[in-house]
Amino acid sequence: MDSWTYIPQLLASGITVGAIYALVALGFVTITRACQIINFAQGEFVMLGGLLTFFLLKDLTPSYPLAASIAIGIVVMVGFLMYLSVIYPLRKAPMLIPLIATLGASIFLSNTSGLLFGTLPKALPPFSGEHPFQMLGVSVLPQSLWVLGATFLLLALLYLLSHRTFLGKAMEASSTDPLGADLVGISRNRMVFLAFGVSAGTGAIAGILITPVFFTSYNSGTILGLKGFIAAVLGGWGKNTGAILGGFVLGILEALSVAFIPAGYKDAVAFAILLLILYFRPKGILGSPFVDSRRW
Amino acid sequence: MTLVFIAWVNPSSPAEKSPYRIGVNLELTGPWGEVTKIVKMAMDMEVERMNGMGGIEGHPLGLVYEDNGFDLARAAANMTKFTRDKNIQVVIGPFEDNLQATTRAIAEREKITNIIICPSNPMVRGLKQKWAFNIAQSDIIVSQKLVDLSLARKYKKVMVFHGAWPLAQSLAEYYKRFGEEKGLKVIIAKETHKPTDIDMTPQLIKLKPVIEQERVDALYASTGGPPGPIICKNMRALGMKIPIIGTHAFGFGFIIALGGEAMEGVEFGAGKPVVPDQLDENDPVRPVVTDFDRRMKAQYNMGIDQIAGHAHDAIGLVYDAMKRVQGNVTRAKFRDALENTKGLKSCHGVYTYSPTDHDGLSKKDMVFIRIEGGKFKRVKLPGFE
Repeated sequence: MDSWTYIPQLLASGITVGAIYALVALGFVTITRACQIINFAQGEFVMLGGLLTFFLLKDLTPSYPLAASIAIGIVVMVGFLMYLSVIYPLRKAPMLIPLIATLGASIFLSNTSGLLFGTLPKALPPFSGEHPFQMLGVSVLPQSLWVLGATFLLLALLYLLSHRTFLGKAMEASSTDPLGADLVGISRNRMVFLAFGVSAGTGAIAGILITPVFFTSYNSGTILGLKGFIAAVLGGWGKNTGAILGGFVLGILEALSVAFIPAGYKDAVAFAILLLILYFRPKGILGSPFVDSRRW
Repeated sequence: MTLVFIAWVNPSSPAEKSPYRIGVNLELTGPWGEVTKIVKMAMDMEVERMNGMGGIEGHPLGLVYEDNGFDLARAAANMTKFTRDKNIQVVIGPFEDNLQATTRAIAEREKITNIIICPSNPMVRGLKQKWAFNIAQSDIIVSQKLVDLSLARKYKKVMVFHGAWPLAQSLAEYYKRFGEEKGLKVIIAKETHKPTDIDMTPQLIKLKPVIEQERVDALYASTGGPPGPIICKNMRALGMKIPIIGTHAFGFGFIIALGGEAMEGVEFGAGKPVVPDQLDENDPVRPVVTDFDRRMKAQYNMGIDQIAGHAHDAIGLVYDAMKRVQGNVTRAKFRDALENTKGLKSCHGVYTYSPTDHDGLSKKDMVFIRIEGGKFKRVKLPGFE
């Protein structure tokens, strides 16, 4: 069987997975741009979004949108709390220390939800219809379209937030030039605080979108977080669009690799890409504030 | 000192006799936490009932739980700790394959019986260890049962998509071996999956053209845990409509909850506790199953499943063997008694052990199940039980 015949279907599967990676990466980049910290608990926001919606839908309300909004609200609160309890007290410590603290927060969040919600994976019903339809000879799940649509909608919203609102402009200013922002009187701590909320919200939305397709359990944040991290490195830490681009590139490359090598190695592909990008273009596709662009 | 004294003046009173302790080495935390909780509940209930019936000639049974947290080193440490405690006569657990392999080796060295709840890795089981006993359906009888299912459904050609771990692999190989003896054409797919895979679509995309070209009648998902429903969901999402055969690991409520509509029509062979209310009137274990189901509902307000059944059977086997020990129970006498278990009717079936067979159950102890309307439905296939 010729490998090329799989390509269209693999591409479709890669785009869906890529959208999820993109959303996780977007959460990473939002926090990183605000305070130059990589938040390793990003995957946990995704997990919490999915699990909370599952339980709200089961126990509190039969309305999907309501349950999802409450879940997003709770996760945003968790993001705020995490900033107040983990990042704010360590704001003056060297950068490595808050980084490790976020890793601790990630373990804390995943184990607490294992204790509260049980350890078996959960699945949400799809938003609309479970039956695939044929499009250009490829079968597509309605949920995949939801994932794609929501990703772009969220990107547009974030763009409007950062370019059209005063608050968003302040956040943008603070991440572009922290010293300049300080001088014009923007409170950087408050901007980082808000960035945690935005990032947690993005993560929660990603979680709600994927739980109908992939299952979510208390420990599924780790692998999603890692993939999102790779996507962020790939796209570059500098821009939201970089994260989105990185996510899609990673998802598609991972899926397409399956046509040529056994599927068991597809996780290895992601990490091989990570190494290659770090060797040859450490600032990512669209650039990163971490890496001095003059050197590379 | 006081206790010894009381025991000496009051030898006939049951409460005063020293308890026979059972060590339980389980994954109470970690990914299996939710499942092991049920094991613990069922075991507590059963031990309480047996002590209510007077225990073993006045000696009560006592459970000592140690959590191994899904961690190999802690499982080994717990096992060693149990072997040092002279009051512990037998150890039950752990679940996970690689954890079992370690505790079985320790049991063999320290000469203490180790009862294994979950099906074992065939390579470990093949060691014929003297002190380890399996209580779950082995890969051999599951494969025989599934070959029967395929024959009854008149499948000519079946593709096996198996997990990349030893038990799933051996289920696939036995299925192929027994199937081909009966004239079934079995193709073992080159693609495999891992227990952590969240998306099997890429593998299935590669299998789809093969399935269409070879005119495969059914796909056998030789797997366990979440990959089962993921495979079913992904297959239906890709528009693959061929019937799916599952393993006994599909017989859990959470599997249907995960897979939803995609699980409809999936068929597999599993233990009788999956369908406690659909057993034959003359089924030898029907009274045990329905009684246990009723008591679980009364005490915990939940019906039984295969895992609860295994917990029931583990305690039942220990109780039965201890009853048959002459005089005080020792580790060696207990082991010999357990090996002599003959025709014990328990939840999962009729247990018979012998020096050459530490697996206990047979093909007759399984039933065919079909998922219909989000529920497990027992199916009877003419000519095949």
